[in-house]
Amino acid sequence: MLVVTRRRNEAIIIGEGIEVRVLRVGRDGVRIGITAPVHVPVNRAEIYELIKAENYEAATSQVPAGLLTRRLRPPVPGAEA
Amino acid sequence: MPDPMPEDNAPIRIQTRFGEFEADRQSLLEFPSGLPAFEQCRHFVLIESPALAPFQCLHATDGPPASFLVINPKLVLSDYRCKLSPADRERFQVTDDTPLAWLAVVLLKEDGEAFANLRAPVVINPARMVGYQVMPHDSLYPTRYPMVSE
Repeated sequence: MLVVTRRRNEAIIIGEGIEVRVLRVGRDGVRIGITAPVHVPVNRAEIYELIKAENYEAATSQVPAGLLTRRLRPPVPGAEA
Repeated sequence: MPDPMPEDNAPIRIQTRFGEFEADRQSLLEFPSGLPAFEQCRHFVLIESPALAPFQCLHATDGPPASFLVINPKLVLSDYRCKLSPADRERFQVTDDTPLAWLAVVLLKEDGEAFANLRAPVVINPARMVGYQVMPHDSLYPTRYPMVSE
């Protein structure tokens, strides 16, 4: 892992077009501004990890027996197809 | 964009975890970033079938096997509202009146419980047949919104 010290308003450039800038340093947190090309999604790590785990479980969970005959229904009345 | 299927208008048969279905070649979608946990899956088909309704199946046609049940989040929560961030809007190349398709990934539990992920919807721009799973920073919806089964 590359470790660098940055002060307020100082930045790091990653590859082409990705800039990570320190905007504010507080007691409990650091405010960071990220500029990245549109094809590079930027997400908080914990959210990405959470969605990753949810997707993995959704794609691998055992399909309950008789799912397609039992028919799950969304809870909105009258919304059945 | 590589075309993983030959040019032909005949429907293709696709074997999924939820059964075998037919899909139109026109329903082939590109996911430039894949889906979290399935980043190598860059192409999916969205399968509609009376046997699945009101769900659809989002099935990967490349990368590791991945099949999801998905549902229109408005069928789960009628006042569901989600806004794309400026970065996401740019990624989709949408203007204000571009119609987008929104899908919530469904998690099925063995005990019959089912949940819809309203926190990170899959969004598709049908005009470009391109999709991303978005994670709006300010969304208050849960990843596991319980759905009723009968």
